[in-house]
Amino acid sequence: MSDSSTYENPGAVSALSGTFQRMEGVNYRLFSPEVSNLESVFFVETDPARCQGCGKCQVQCPTGARHKQPDGTRDVVDPAACVNCGQCLTICPYRAIGEGTSYVPEVLEKLKDPNTVVVAMTAPAVRYALGECFGLPVGTYVGGKMHGALRRLGFDYIWDNEWAADVTVMEEGTELIERLHDGGTGDRPLPQFTSCCPGWIKFCETFYPDLIPHLSTCKSPVGMLGALAKTYGSEETGVVPENVYTVSIMPCIAKKYEGLRPELNASGQRDIDATINTRELAYLIKEAGIYFTALPDEEADPALGISTGAGTLFGTTGGVMEAALRFAYEALSDEVLSDLATTAVETGRGLTKVTVEVPGFGPVRGAVVSGLDKAAMVCEKVRAGRADYHFIEVMACPGGCVNGGGQPVDPSIMDASLFKKMVASVNKRFKMRRIA
Amino acid sequence: MKTKRWDLSRRTFIKASGLACGYALFGVRMAREGAARVLDIVGLRQDSVHKADANPALYRYRKSQNNPMVKALYASDGFLSEGPAGSLSHELLHTHYGDRSASIEGIDGLRRY
Repeated sequence: MSDSSTYENPGAVSALSGTFQRMEGVNYRLFSPEVSNLESVFFVETDPARCQGCGKCQVQCPTGARHKQPDGTRDVVDPAACVNCGQCLTICPYRAIGEGTSYVPEVLEKLKDPNTVVVAMTAPAVRYALGECFGLPVGTYVGGKMHGALRRLGFDYIWDNEWAADVTVMEEGTELIERLHDGGTGDRPLPQFTSCCPGWIKFCETFYPDLIPHLSTCKSPVGMLGALAKTYGSEETGVVPENVYTVSIMPCIAKKYEGLRPELNASGQRDIDATINTRELAYLIKEAGIYFTALPDEEADPALGISTGAGTLFGTTGGVMEAALRFAYEALSDEVLSDLATTAVETGRGLTKVTVEVPGFGPVRGAVVSGLDKAAMVCEKVRAGRADYHFIEVMACPGGCVNGGGQPVDPSIMDASLFKKMVASVNKRFKMRRIA
Repeated sequence: MKTKRWDLSRRTFIKASGLACGYALFGVRMAREGAARVLDIVGLRQDSVHKADANPALYRYRKSQNNPMVKALYASDGFLSEGPAGSLSHELLHTHYGDRSASIEGIDGLRRY
C-alpha cells in the first residue's frame, strides 16, 4: 500500500489553512489538542477543495453529522454530533477527508528529550494492519516487528494494550458476574454493554443517555493502561510518574477524543498524554528510515507487556465477547474450560447471538454487534425491554477495530477511477453554477 | 448417425464454445468478485486475528486469567491485591459517563434514535 497519488489532482489547492502532513494517503493537521478544547476540535476534517460532493460519507455516517453544504460538498456540521469513528474517511474516494489533530510533532519532540520516559501503548488491531504500509500482504501479523520498530524509534518502554485487555476482561467479567448474581437490579441493570469502544461510548452518551447505567463502568483497555503505567508501571520501573509520557497507538480516531476526556486523570496527571494511530506510526517508522520488513521479532517489555490470545481478540468484532466468556465460564462454574470452541463467537452481518451453557449457572446469553446503525437497533430493543441478553458487545466500526478509522485505507477505495472522477467534477461544477 | 458420445455437429460445437467463452469471461469475474467480497480487507485482518489467537507460538496463553502478568497484578502481594473490582481498581480502572444529549439539541438533520 504505497502512498500512491495517481489520482491526486495537482491543481487542487487545499481550502484549509494550517500546517498539514500527508501520512499514508491521509491529510493530518499538525495540531496537538488540549483537554480544554475537547468539545470544539474537529477530529475528522473535510477539505472542501478536494470534496467532489459524491455523498458517500453522508450515507456511511451513523449519526447523520455530515451535512450537505450549499456548494454540494459534505462536512461535519458540529463536533458534538460526530462520534469520531472516521468511517467517512476510510470510504472517501477523493481523499478529501483528513484528520484535524496529530500528535506526531509532539511525540517526536518527546522522543528526543532525554529527561522524558516515553511509553508506547499499542492496541491489538494495529499489528494486523501496520504491515500493509510496508508492502506486506493484508492481514499479516507484525506484532514482533512493531515492538522492534518502536524500540528503534526511541520509546523507552513498550507496554501492550493486549495486557490491559486481559486486565479489562478480569474487571469487566467480574462486573458482569456481580450483575448476574444481583439479577440486574438497582443501578446496575442487565444487559451489560461493553465500554471498550470510544465511538460507541460517545454515541451512547449523546443519543441513548438513558442506557448509561447499562454501560460497564470499566475504562477502555488504554484508559486502564494509561492509569496503570503511571502508578503500577512507575513502581515496577522506578521512574517518577511526572517524567512518564504515555503514547497510545490505536487503529482509531475516536481514541484521540477519549484520551482527552477530563476524567482520565486517575494517576494524578493525564493518564494518556498523546494518541496516534496506525497510519501515523507507519509514517514515523518510514521517516526514521527503519527497514521494517527486515526487523527481528521482539517482545514487549515485562510487567505490563505479556499478553494472551484473549487480549489480541479485542481487535475484532466478537472478540471482547469471546475473551469475556472464556473468563466468565470458569469464574461462574469453577470448572476449567478445556474446549475453547464452547465459547467461540462467530460473527456475521448484523446482530450475532451467542448462548453458552455454563454448568452450575445455566445459559449465558450474549449479543455482538458492530456498526453504530446496528447498535442503535439493539439499543431500541434494550430500551423497550425486549432484549433478554446478559452481555452486549458493541464496536462502532463495521468488523471491529481492524476496520478502524485510523487504519491504513483500502487503496482500491482511495483511488477513484478516472471516469468516476470526471463525472464527479462535472457534477460539482454544475451544482456550483446553480448556486451562483 | 452418432457413433461417439461427443460427436457434435459444427453448429452445436460453435454454440457450446460460445457459451463456454461467455461463462469463462463472466463466470471467472463473478467468482473473483464473490471471493473478494468474502475475503475483503477486513475479513483478511479478522482471520489473521483468530489465527494469531490459535497460534501457540504467538500467544502461549489463551485465557486472560492465565496470564502470569495479570496474576502478578492481582496476587495477594501484587499492586491490586484486592482482586478485580476492588477499591483501588475502582479508583484507577473504572469511570463514569455523562449525559451529552444536550450538546446536540438544536442541530437539525441528525438521525434521531
